[in-house]
Amino acid sequence: MKKKKIGVYICHCGGNISDYVDVEKVRQAVEGEDIVFLAKTTMFACSDANQREMVNDIEANGLTSVVVASCSPKLHLLTFRNVSQRANLNKYTYVHANIREQASWAHSDNKIGATEKAIHLVKAAIAKANYAEALESNKVKAQKSVAIIGAGVAGMKAAISLSNKDCEVILIEKEPFVGGRVAQWNSLSTTTETGKEIVKRLYDDLITRDNITICTNSEVISNKGSVGNFTLKIKTTPRYIRQSFHPEDLTRAIEVCPVSVPDEFNFRLTQRKAIYKNYPGEYPQTPVIDIKNCTRCGACEKVCPAVDFNEKEEITEITVGSVLMATGFDPYTPGYGEFGYATSENVITLPQFKRLIDEQSGTLVYKGKVIKNIAYIYCVGSRQTKGDNTYCSRNCCTSTIHAAVTAKSKFPDINNFHFNRGLRTYGKQEILYADSLRSGDIYLQSYEDGLPTVTIEGNKTIVKINDILTNGKEIEVEADLVVLVTGMVPRADNKVGTLFKLPKGRDKFYNEIHMKLRPVETVIDGVTIAGACQGPKNIAESVNSALSAATKSYSIISKGELESEPLVAIIDQDKCTWCGACEKACPFDAILKVEDKGKIVAEINNSVCKGCGMCAPVCEPDAINVTACSSTEIMSMIDTLV
Amino acid sequence: MAKINPSFGKELKKYGAINFNACYNCGNCTAVCSLSTEDVSFPREMVRVSTLGLEDEIQSSLKPWECYYCGECSTHCPQEANPGELMMSLRRYLTAKYDWTGLSGLMYKSLPLTISAFVLSLIGVLYFAFSVNFDLEKMVHWGHLFEMIAIGTVGFVILLPNVARMWWLTILKPGTKVPFKKYVSSIGELIVHMFTQKRALGCDDNQLRWFEHFIMVIGYLSLLFTTVFLNWFSSEYLIVTLFGYLVSTIVFVVTFDFVLSRIKKKKQISKHSQPSDWFFVIWLFLMGLSAFMVRLFIDLDLLESNKWLYLVHLTVLVQWALIIVPFGKWTHFLYRSFAMYFAKLKA
Ligand SMILES: Cc1cc2nc3c(=O)[nH]c(=O)nc-3n(C[C@H](O)[C@H](O)[C@H](O)COP(=O)(O)OP(=O)(O)OC[C@H]3O[C@@H](n4cnc5c(N)ncnc54)[C@H](O)[C@@H]3O)c2cc1C
Ligand code: SF4
Ligand code: SF4
Repeated sequence: MKKKKIGVYICHCGGNISDYVDVEKVRQAVEGEDIVFLAKTTMFACSDANQREMVNDIEANGLTSVVVASCSPKLHLLTFRNVSQRANLNKYTYVHANIREQASWAHSDNKIGATEKAIHLVKAAIAKANYAEALESNKVKAQKSVAIIGAGVAGMKAAISLSNKDCEVILIEKEPFVGGRVAQWNSLSTTTETGKEIVKRLYDDLITRDNITICTNSEVISNKGSVGNFTLKIKTTPRYIRQSFHPEDLTRAIEVCPVSVPDEFNFRLTQRKAIYKNYPGEYPQTPVIDIKNCTRCGACEKVCPAVDFNEKEEITEITVGSVLMATGFDPYTPGYGEFGYATSENVITLPQFKRLIDEQSGTLVYKGKVIKNIAYIYCVGSRQTKGDNTYCSRNCCTSTIHAAVTAKSKFPDINNFHFNRGLRTYGKQEILYADSLRSGDIYLQSYEDGLPTVTIEGNKTIVKINDILTNGKEIEVEADLVVLVTGMVPRADNKVGTLFKLPKGRDKFYNEIHMKLRPVETVIDGVTIAGACQGPKNIAESVNSALSAATKSYSIISKGELESEPLVAIIDQDKCTWCGACEKACPFDAILKVEDKGKIVAEINNSVCKGCGMCAPVCEPDAINVTACSSTEIMSMIDTLV
Repeated sequence: MAKINPSFGKELKKYGAINFNACYNCGNCTAVCSLSTEDVSFPREMVRVSTLGLEDEIQSSLKPWECYYCGECSTHCPQEANPGELMMSLRRYLTAKYDWTGLSGLMYKSLPLTISAFVLSLIGVLYFAFSVNFDLEKMVHWGHLFEMIAIGTVGFVILLPNVARMWWLTILKPGTKVPFKKYVSSIGELIVHMFTQKRALGCDDNQLRWFEHFIMVIGYLSLLFTTVFLNWFSSEYLIVTLFGYLVSTIVFVVTFDFVLSRIKKKKQISKHSQPSDWFFVIWLFLMGLSAFMVRLFIDLDLLESNKWLYLVHLTVLVQWALIIVPFGKWTHFLYRSFAMYFAKLKA
């Protein structure tokens, strides 16, 4: 082995390190080592000036490897790898030592000890650098196409964004119509556009684009492969109505259908037929027959020739490079008797209330009764102290106030009473809150340990609270209608999440890798998340995350080829006896069982393996090694440290 | 248990409250208020009970009188909810509630009614002048007599029962038990506050306004004393004459400044003037000025040929004594000082 020439750089981090670690002492301690060619201290290793100096040093002295002792590798490992690459060194010869989080910050009370530890850490890094090998990245061909699951605002917006790039988009929607929840809301907070107008605008845009395929009434039923090459099977349920139809015939067909089922679009406030359309301007324009509830009586067929019961379910297989998940949320359903839900007929949920005020004009009537006093009970199903939903649903405060203000302008005689737990109308939504106050809405507040109560006395519904804004005084309102401000919960049907093994957070929504640093990526390579499936979001936030996820998904596949870290596990197939222990240990499903020369052995899927090393220690015959963490490298580091 | 009355806000707006329901309970107003204490905390609490329309709470509260309206709260309110003006309108509302005749409330809420009352008084004075054939001597004599009778009647028939009602609403009705001894031992509080308004000094940077108000009150009371009991217009004594000139001057000069600042609207307190505020300051100014002029014309021997001047003075006086004193803003002189007395009893 040719003797190494290593360059060592020890960073002050502007004082973050040098206030506790004597960096000059560290430099002197390593300077004399045989393989160290030069050792320098620097105020900010990451600064442009220092990076340039490093490139010069490497090129002028023919250094074979570089060690930087600075902050966490999470922050700057890539920075310094790139510096090596710019100086024509293989970037995997770079070794990082963390003397900030692990020495100066951890031992700010013991400067001598911190310095000593830093010396050890740097020496260990030098020992590793001695054995560091030049590696090449793995390359896999990637499909330049993205499957988007869910055609709510998030999914549709992501589709448009991706279609602007040269990328095929397959937009898969489970329901017969696109738009998701937003299609269900008429007027919206913080925008003058109605939900339906937004959906129409997006859909009109989508259908003009050649590189977008929209599949409604469709679900992903299987998933194989990994980043770059996901093979998905899509099951499409037919509409049982041909594309070309006479609108009058269809209206007749809907009229004659004898079936009547609760209308989920109106949150079960009303009934609909088995052949239906949720609202006139809905997209796609063709209505649908809900075959599960259809009795096949044939009444519609007789009046409308476009009805076709012979249409068959279809299964299509597609291969895409990346998957963008945008399956949205469900509104929380209160438990039986929770604030009088289901036990009092004057109690409804916020989504129901929104549908109710959309549908009516003149006077507000519910179940035949004119409504004057409305009590809104906030945080139902959110910020729970007893249940699991400890999170805040973020948008419900604003949505409620907006609904209340809208209701008041539509029905001026009503009084709004808001029983809240502290309002979260952040940003410009505060203006809405101020408007509501000015229009005379009354806000009553409690903490989580003094929630309001709903009692039914005869045909009266009384809401009581110990109002913390009035010195804890007990205040009561006789409400004609109680609106439970239900928050957002993950979709009850999570089959698709299970299919992709998407991890969930504490709130049970899909989880990103890092809330701030990698907000739309999941630990499943190639699968990004957007919109309210990731956690409660309003439309603007959903759209922001959708654009971000679209860009991320595209960046993965844009080159048509994937470069993955060569830091993966390697199986010595001669030693492997396939006991299956590694397969169980791998958190990323990167281990495949294959046949090689007539023998069953393990194989690593390089594009999925993250080189975490969970498999290596469980392998009894010691058939697994992890690149860049070979036994020689690790042992030499341990020798220096102890 | 309390029931919300959302329509109370509309009622209170008639007394001059503006936008108070915009309050989002941040408490900035209470924090900046230099008179609010931990035990007697306002104005947010009063904004709150007003928003909810808890009338019993408001009627039993002395807090509106404990505010001397420096306006700091309104300046600092991020919602522009005007807590200072709310306190002011609560004082008007309470004045109306204390008044057993109910006329205060009607006049606060209706400007046409107030104007009618003023016109009616004018007609009364003219009728009286006709009936005595504009005989100056008779007019001055009866004018003086009227003053004495009016003071007695208004005091005993209107003001005293109203103070008693205030006592009932704020002490008896809420069930506060006060031993008789305390009524006696606390009486000093009433006297001190009545004649010094010393609590107003607790407001930041308020020394000048307090001083103006203080000499105005002293000036007004002295003018009352000089005209009624020393019979200034007919007095032969030089000392009485000069004293009358002095105190009437104080009254019209200070009130002139008050009127001016209400016109300029520079200070928070003078930004929102209700008709009752205008009538109060303007009539006080007219009283001081017309009294001064009448005596001056007497001394210059000009009054006989300028009887109209005395009629003007008499009209102002009648309107003041029959409208503003019993049913207008004048009563705050009483209620403020009694409020401090009752607060001491409650403490
Ligand atoms: C009562 C209420 C009022 C609101 N008001 C406002 C407001 O005024 N302003 C505002 O900005 N926001 C408002 N919001 C929030 C807004 O509804 C959401 O931000 C928005 O719907 C999120 O969009 P999305 O596309 O992420 O999810 P969704 O709208 O839920 O859409 C998800 C789509 O995915 C589909 N899908 C689900 N699972 C699958 C699957 N397995 N396969 C295929 N497709 C699937 C669904 O059918 C749906 O079409 C309100 C929310 C509520 C509850
Ligand atoms: S947004 Fe408001 S109503 Fe919704 S959970 Fe959060 S605090 Fe409660
Ligand atoms: S400062 Fe304004 S908003 Fe804040 S509590 Fe006082 S009145 Fe209400």
